[in-house]
Amino acid sequence: MASTRRLLLAAALWAVSGLWAPVAARADVPVVAAASDLQFAIEEIAAAFAAETGQQVRLSLGSTGNFARQIREGAPFEIFMAADEAFIADLHAEGFTRDAGDLYAIGRLVIIAPHGGALAPDAELEALAALLAEGQIRRFAIANPEHAPYGMRAREALMARGLWEALQPALVLGENVSQAAQFALSGNAEGGIVAWSLALAPQVAARGHHALIPETWHTPLRQRMALLQGAGPVAEAFYAYLQAPAAREILARYGFTIPAE
Amino acid sequence: MDWTALGLSLRLAAWTVAILLPVSILVGRLLAYRRFRGKGLVEALVMLPLVLPPTVFGFYLLVSFGRDSPVGQLWQGLFGSQLVFSFEGLVLASIVFNLPFAIQPAQRGFEAIPVEVREAAACCGMSPLRSLWKVELPLAWPGVMTAMVLTFAHTLGEFGIVLMVGGSIPGETKTIAIAIYDRVQAFDDRSAATMSAVLVAISLATIATTLWLSSRIGRRLG
Amino acid sequence: MALEVSARATAPIPLKIAFRVAPGELMALVGHSGSGKTTILRTIAGLWRPPEARVQVNGTVWLDTAAGRDLPAHRRPVGVVFQNYALFPHMSAAQNVMAAMDRPDWHEAARILDLLNLQGLADRRPAQLSGGQQQRVAVARALARRPRALLLDEPFSAVDSTTRERLYGEIIALRAHLKMPVVLVTHDMNEAQLLADRMVVLEKGQLVRDGPTAEVMADPEALRAMGLREVAVMLEAKIAVHLPDGLTRLEAPGGALYLPRVEGSPGTLVRVRIMAHEVILSRARPEGLSAQNILAGHVARIVPGKGPAVTVHVALGAQEIIARITRRAAEQMSLREGEPVHAILKSMAVARHHIARASPADPEV
Repeated sequence: MASTRRLLLAAALWAVSGLWAPVAARADVPVVAAASDLQFAIEEIAAAFAAETGQQVRLSLGSTGNFARQIREGAPFEIFMAADEAFIADLHAEGFTRDAGDLYAIGRLVIIAPHGGALAPDAELEALAALLAEGQIRRFAIANPEHAPYGMRAREALMARGLWEALQPALVLGENVSQAAQFALSGNAEGGIVAWSLALAPQVAARGHHALIPETWHTPLRQRMALLQGAGPVAEAFYAYLQAPAAREILARYGFTIPAE
Repeated sequence: MDWTALGLSLRLAAWTVAILLPVSILVGRLLAYRRFRGKGLVEALVMLPLVLPPTVFGFYLLVSFGRDSPVGQLWQGLFGSQLVFSFEGLVLASIVFNLPFAIQPAQRGFEAIPVEVREAAACCGMSPLRSLWKVELPLAWPGVMTAMVLTFAHTLGEFGIVLMVGGSIPGETKTIAIAIYDRVQAFDDRSAATMSAVLVAISLATIATTLWLSSRIGRRLG
Repeated sequence: MALEVSARATAPIPLKIAFRVAPGELMALVGHSGSGKTTILRTIAGLWRPPEARVQVNGTVWLDTAAGRDLPAHRRPVGVVFQNYALFPHMSAAQNVMAAMDRPDWHEAARILDLLNLQGLADRRPAQLSGGQQQRVAVARALARRPRALLLDEPFSAVDSTTRERLYGEIIALRAHLKMPVVLVTHDMNEAQLLADRMVVLEKGQLVRDGPTAEVMADPEALRAMGLREVAVMLEAKIAVHLPDGLTRLEAPGGALYLPRVEGSPGTLVRVRIMAHEVILSRARPEGLSAQNILAGHVARIVPGKGPAVTVHVALGAQEIIARITRRAAEQMSLREGEPVHAILKSMAVARHHIARASPADPEV
């Protein structure tokens, strides 16, 4: 009985000692809030930045709208890379950003479907329309149009093509465009409309094929970023790095068009 | 394997247990021994986190100590940073939503002590504190330990509230449960699988420990 | 070192009592369930507080509602033996006893356990002890406190009758070592008569009678609350010889007593409880009767009752025996005070648990 007590006391002490485990030094490693379409691109850029300068950044990925809300609530991000410049403009107007920020990329939409599935992706969405007419589309994933720019654009494109109404019962909304891609290729859906930057990543390309959707079918995905109030020197360095040739080359590989601005 | 996230989860769970241990003993004991007006209400409030959807809870927590709340502003004034999106905010949220896990099993543990035994302790000259240490805790400890083990495991697994109150800030609030979610979205199934396996192992260990402790409750009391 | 108690309450049960127990005296609080006896015990111990009450022990006031003084239970030097023992299940017998000490002393604990014939059981857990052993550990624990008052709450109700008899013997033997007032709560009149010096009879929270055991047990009015069939006396007798047919012959005042085998060597003094309703009276010495016990004495006094019965006190030497007979029979026999009469008792009428050792400290019955 006494030995059991000792054992438990030891376990308790061990657990308590964890209380003082070193926390990642917050001040020197800024957190970058990046829209989910940058999932793979930003990881590469951050790695390149670390390799080149020896400095680290922490990445947080999610939907643009969600980040905007969190920033308003005081989330400790130092850089915000939105998928739609409107969000940056609003934050700037409210004084959350240092300045109006910079346009860092133009994004594109693709239709994506799992390999060997019923849906064969094509730019005009003909196959999608046909399968819809036959009632063969049970589930189709896009990002949530309420707060994800890629979701909003997907809705515009589908409306332009006249498929929005018909697709309603089958729509599955991802919390961000990454999750939408995850749903689309999970095997439980026929496909989805997601970011080109995601479709080009090897991990994703291995699971599904895609086709670019015409730019004219939706308002442009002008992706803007900005330094937030209280951003430190490392954040500033990374921000500059994002506009440097090395980073731009990575972005280009993920299908982003670098604006001439 | 996101070691930072795992470490964060373990730290969060450890802090929650450390803070809730005295609460568990004192409140569990009070509820077990006393009958008072409003006791039913107190017990219902304690149970609330069990039945409320995590999102409702997360919402109310945000309202209670978000940037625009009195608590949030007080924190900002004292420490110069936000309570939400911070580890401290997670600890606060964790303490609140673990109350039923911390209190109820401890309460059962104390309830199982026959009233006569407690009266005998007093009649032996033991002050309430001495009685707690020498008689009540030794008899109720399986209940208290169950409470702590459940609290620890529940904190490790908590997702919705952590995401709402903490966001997903690596090294601050990105716990292992959120890291798994994150890896799945990044099409990194291998990492997700590894981390999930770790959590499953911890959960199984928790269940085994709780079962073992429950059997001890009966034996202790002869 | 006396214990003085008074209490008044209206709820949960109506209470109105006041009594005093002298040091070394064992007082039995008797009454049916719900009569308030356990409530009074708990009041003395500090486990309950009536709206109006006063408890004073050895000059120290433990409780005085009027003065606003209420010592918590753990500050009252009281020893309590609970009905279901209430031993600490996670501690050994010795540890249980030491728990009541200010400074745990293993040797002292062992000594007290020896006093209660629990040698060798010091390291056993309560679960490993028999009911009788557990009860004795509970007594040991209460004594270890060096209490100013010892309270026993129906301590023998949870044990079987054989063990109970043995425990009575232990308590009687222990009396010699007890210098403090002792209060025993019981609903068992036999137990009260065997062990107590004084009795307080309660009925529905009211104190009905307070007096020496022999007087109370001989008074039908007092015993109306407990049942008139409880009227009895304790007759002191000496074991003379154990007979081969299974009987024991004892020497009692007024003659020989034959009872089923009584434990004890010849020469031992015992007290025998004789129920008044079992005693037959006869003017002349009867012959040819099956009853073996015929004791000669004379009528001391006749007390009429409310119903058809009278209580006849028969003097046997320095002792007394009581017979409850019908008034009709008393009139037919023309019994008068001072006249010789024989008291007749069946051997089989005396139950085994109605016999106890005479304690050397016992006052003359």
